[in-house]
Amino acid sequence: MIKSFIYPIKELIKGLLTVLKNGFKEKVTLEYPEKKKVLNNNFRGKIKYDKTKCIKCKICQKVCPAKGTIEINETFKIDYSQCIFCANCVEFCPKGALTITKEYELATNNKNELIFNEGIN
Amino acid sequence: MSIFHLIFVEYLLKLNIPEWLIFMLWQIIYFIFISLLMILAVLFLVLFERKYLAFFTRRKGPNRVGLYGCLQTVADGIKILFKENIMPKNADKFIYFVAPIIVFAPILTVYSLIPFSSDINSYKSDIGILLFMAILSLPIAGVLFAGYSSRNKYSLIGGMRSCIQAISSEIPIFLTLAGIVILTGSMNLSEIVKAQHSFSQWNIFPSILGFIIFFICSLITLNRIPFDFPEAESELVAGYNSEYSGMKFAMFFLGEYALTFIFSAYAATLFLGGYNSPFGFYIADLFDLTLITGEIIRNIEQFFWLILKTFFLILIIMWIRAAYPRFKTEKALELCWYIFIPLAIFNLFVLCIVQYFRGSL
Repeated sequence: MIKSFIYPIKELIKGLLTVLKNGFKEKVTLEYPEKKKVLNNNFRGKIKYDKTKCIKCKICQKVCPAKGTIEINETFKIDYSQCIFCANCVEFCPKGALTITKEYELATNNKNELIFNEGIN
Repeated sequence: MSIFHLIFVEYLLKLNIPEWLIFMLWQIIYFIFISLLMILAVLFLVLFERKYLAFFTRRKGPNRVGLYGCLQTVADGIKILFKENIMPKNADKFIYFVAPIIVFAPILTVYSLIPFSSDINSYKSDIGILLFMAILSLPIAGVLFAGYSSRNKYSLIGGMRSCIQAISSEIPIFLTLAGIVILTGSMNLSEIVKAQHSFSQWNIFPSILGFIIFFICSLITLNRIPFDFPEAESELVAGYNSEYSGMKFAMFFLGEYALTFIFSAYAATLFLGGYNSPFGFYIADLFDLTLITGEIIRNIEQFFWLILKTFFLILIIMWIRAAYPRFKTEKALELCWYIFIPLAIFNLFVLCIVQYFRGSL
């Protein structure tokens, strides 16, 4: 009888202490624009194009799973509104003209700003 | 008669101001003091609760407006002032309009009953304890009106739940209050505080069970988590105030926090010695001060002690909020009717015995 009365009270106090213990742990909040997350080495962000190495083989255009993201005509055109950041193009590039960076802050109000055109040699 | 009152009257009589006007001005000063205290308390409590909950859940809380987010509540208040007042089409317009006022006005009234220091007490009523609880049963009517007049099922259920739990929690509260009256032999709040002048004479020691019952029942009356069924978000949207917006919503919101503050102050007054210092003497008395400055500084110190005790209780209330999930409605009512009422009667019995032996000593 007494045990059944004491048990819930014990549990309630245990709950309070657990919550209190949590308070002294490290805060999980990240104040985003001022402090940025430490990124993993495998992080796939914006793609960097080196026009001196490119041989215009169009393999990147073929392996891209999101069709129409990369187009190579007079220019190297990449559309980040469609890109899924799979880095297939980087993997398959025979000359290593494409490299991956950790830049991920690409948000804009204008969709056209997401299309990048770079000249080809 | 307090020394502040005497100074005030003397100063104004020198300026040839009639006596009835002085009396009115004195009441107005009290009113301004109480309103300011309430608004500051609420502004601070809202921010404090957010920061404190953030502490428990490993977040940082509001920290953008002002230094460490200290102006966040002010910004929220300004935002809510400019919000549009939307009234439901089928609402019972007069009752809908009046409900927030019925909730808010009694809470403001009740602030005048608490002795904040030996001289700052605008209304020394001989039935202070009773009057406090009697006035605080009025906001329940306002909540019920709000629920009914919104013509919304969620609001109505919220209002009804609030009413049910207020009624069932008031009976154990009154029984514990009867225990306090037995211990101190008075219903006057300032007399009760004077009776607890030293640490060992605080009412919490003979009546620890009564304090626990009072505390949990006041959580039920205040609709705080874990007893916040009238505003259970997952079931009732926002409960009785789901159809209210703008300033009317702000009145419910302010009322809730003001009530939390005043209930904690009430509990501190009844059980934790009110404005008395826990050491048995006032720090102000240690210094050689003249009569008037000594009196003023002692009053400020007494006010400080009461606020400290109040915030100690508020800290516990918010800690409980951070820790526990919501009760079931019927479980909370069972708690009140089946457990707390017998326990409160037992507590009353114990206090009678304690008082009998105290009297014989």
